[in-house]
Amino acid sequence: MKDWQPRILAILCNWCSYAGADLAGVSRIQYPPNIRVVRIPCSGRVDPLFIMKGLQSGFDGVLVSGCHPGDCHYLSGNFVARRRFAVLKPLLEMIGIEPERVQFSWISAGEGERFAQVMTKVTNDIKKIGPARRLVKGA
Amino acid sequence: MVNELREKVKKLLAGGEVELVIGWEKGSRALAATPVFIDSPKEADRLIFDSTCGNNPAVYFTKDSRRLVKAGKKIGVVVKGCDARSMSLYLAEKQVKRENVVIIGVPCRGVIDTDKVAEAAGGREVLEYSEQDGKMTVRGKDLDLTLDANEVLSNSCLTCVYPDAREYDIFIGKARDGEPGKEQNAALDEFEKLSPEERWEKMTEIYSRCIRCYACRNVCPSCYCNECFVDQNDPQWVGKTPEITDTMIFHIIRNLHVAGRCVECGACERACPMGLELLLLNRKAAREVEERFGYVTGIDSGEKPAMADFREDEKQDFIMG
Amino acid sequence: MVRLEKDKFDDFIRSLAGDYIVYAPVTAGGKSSFKVVESAEDIDGNCLVTDRSPKEIFFPHSEVLFEYDRDGVRELERSGKPIAVWGLRGCDVKSLAMLDKVFGNARQMPDNEMFQDPYWKQKYDDSLVFGLACNEPRSTCFCNWLGGDPHGGDGSDVFVVDAGDAYLMKPGSDKGKAFIEKMTDAGPASDADEKKAGELASGARAMLSDPLALDELDGRLKAVFHEDIWEELSAKCVNCGACAFVCPTCHCFDVQDEGKGGKGKRIRIWDSCMFPIFTKEASGHNPRQLSRERFKQRVMHKFSYFVDNYGESLCTGCGRCVVACPVNVDIREVIKKVILFEGKGAR
Repeated sequence: MKDWQPRILAILCNWCSYAGADLAGVSRIQYPPNIRVVRIPCSGRVDPLFIMKGLQSGFDGVLVSGCHPGDCHYLSGNFVARRRFAVLKPLLEMIGIEPERVQFSWISAGEGERFAQVMTKVTNDIKKIGPARRLVKGA
Repeated sequence: MVNELREKVKKLLAGGEVELVIGWEKGSRALAATPVFIDSPKEADRLIFDSTCGNNPAVYFTKDSRRLVKAGKKIGVVVKGCDARSMSLYLAEKQVKRENVVIIGVPCRGVIDTDKVAEAAGGREVLEYSEQDGKMTVRGKDLDLTLDANEVLSNSCLTCVYPDAREYDIFIGKARDGEPGKEQNAALDEFEKLSPEERWEKMTEIYSRCIRCYACRNVCPSCYCNECFVDQNDPQWVGKTPEITDTMIFHIIRNLHVAGRCVECGACERACPMGLELLLLNRKAAREVEERFGYVTGIDSGEKPAMADFREDEKQDFIMG
Repeated sequence: MVRLEKDKFDDFIRSLAGDYIVYAPVTAGGKSSFKVVESAEDIDGNCLVTDRSPKEIFFPHSEVLFEYDRDGVRELERSGKPIAVWGLRGCDVKSLAMLDKVFGNARQMPDNEMFQDPYWKQKYDDSLVFGLACNEPRSTCFCNWLGGDPHGGDGSDVFVVDAGDAYLMKPGSDKGKAFIEKMTDAGPASDADEKKAGELASGARAMLSDPLALDELDGRLKAVFHEDIWEELSAKCVNCGACAFVCPTCHCFDVQDEGKGGKGKRIRIWDSCMFPIFTKEASGHNPRQLSRERFKQRVMHKFSYFVDNYGESLCTGCGRCVVACPVNVDIREVIKKVILFEGKGAR
């Protein structure tokens, strides 16, 4: 399985994290090509069901990224999201989903370098724990 | 105490202070009381209260899209500690109007788990039940057994911290506070020692028995969405078959939807026809909410529910930021 | 009548498992259901009525009807051996026969295979049913209200009575007769055995509650269709669907396609008239929006519509719904109240 490449779902908020990804791109910063990006208006839009659907579809990992607290384009979207993720992550870990599989970050529009770093970290984390098996549908 | 309850309800109905009182009466099976809807003083003598009164009566306020509430009637409800927390939650979530509800607290010493009783009775059918001072007696054909409450109470009751109503209009008898931290998290702590692999195995073992009947969802007073996410089919979020992935996602997401709103009354676990140990996930979510946001569901109806609120400064150790 | 000593029972099951896929009551996690067994070891002999009904042997909770991809449709192969079911109580034997009427389309064109349900028929038609008499019915049993009998062998291929030290077996059909004739482990039953069986039968019948006469029920239900009585009857019900799922005769189902990309499968799963979206239409309108409407529907289907269509109530009095209901809605009390209703619209 040494040629296995993880496929990671990256749900990025339009105003900060997605812009950060764009900046990484135009700055030609290299990072692993394992992510598949879904752009949403705000991290507060993320329904935990998106994350579950991602795991069911066979993504090996999910990363959700939004604006830094206090910088949300819609003022409080990421605060609401933060509470939601704070309860979702422990519940997923209760059923045995490895903590590295679903991760969260705050990345701003100016943090192109950091975006690449976070993507690299997540990809390496997932490579270490192997392909997702547990919630995959039709397995 | 029961006589006092009946007299009080008679007075409330006769005086027109309420038009309906929801409580419990003796059921058709020895171990289960059944909900009763009292609308005249003479019916009040049907009311009982003991450890067979398992279901959470608050659920009737939100049933059928809050039909009872919308009718504008003044309704009384007899509540255990956990049920009262559901009523407080409804007040906080503006599902019922304060002036249209009369909350009648009764002293609860726990609800029995019929599966535990069945096991203790060696499978013999229980035809008669009585209780006295923390001892439960069950009788049937070739069966006469007295059990200690600790042996047969529901798991949620054994570690209950809020046995009696905190917010109420009337309290019959003497209220008491539970002891916080009384082994409430013991089962959870034990479970959290397991590795992810072991957790998946244990959870799969439990949830593979789920038949997706949704009894847990329907008896839960906190679940009152007009359209539940499992019933949505465009997009379809969760498959309807008992494939383990769909079943797990149903339970995780239902738990997330009731996080910070679940009062751990145990009605879900008691309703499950397959005897699933559902409350482990509920305790986990409740503890996260308590520790991270300092919020306990249904203690203060003036407090905004945790998941509908936020603070700018909050522990975010799980976020790379 | 023949007699199979209990110490030969394990051999009997093992030999049966050679020719059949044998289902029997098994208890796991405190709850009983019918599962495949290879020996007598796993069989729960103390189980009266299983928590999960035997309909799932022939009509599983979720069943893949076929798979499809860009090359076409693939029906799934059925494995070779026919099914044998051990330990079916009278109520359950009767329920399977009722379901066969529905899935075999007895009402309209029973001889036309095109209108029969192949997924049911494939499994049920060549199955061997061992009915087991009930020596100690529970307080929730009411088979006698619906013409059932704890020691009645109707519908079983082989009817078995547990006489303590042995199983006494009687043929109930040609298939059963042929089976018993081929049995090597059983000996002829004695007069004492016949007497014991008779005593157990009377004892069991005496334990059941006095039956309520239900011949008027169909008519009464139609008479009170529009009455307010349904408000009171359904007040407790939270429409969870547990009753329909544990019921051996409830058979409503939904068909779902689950696919991804160019392939998928069509799955049939249990549905329940209790669920809020059971009658939700594509327009968004739901003719049974209210709990009381769905509750009424369930009672009407069981005791009125099915009578119209098939000549009997869609209930065998097993009592599983009474045990499973989280708020203790007792169907016996519901039909009693309908029969005794004195309000407007009553006769």
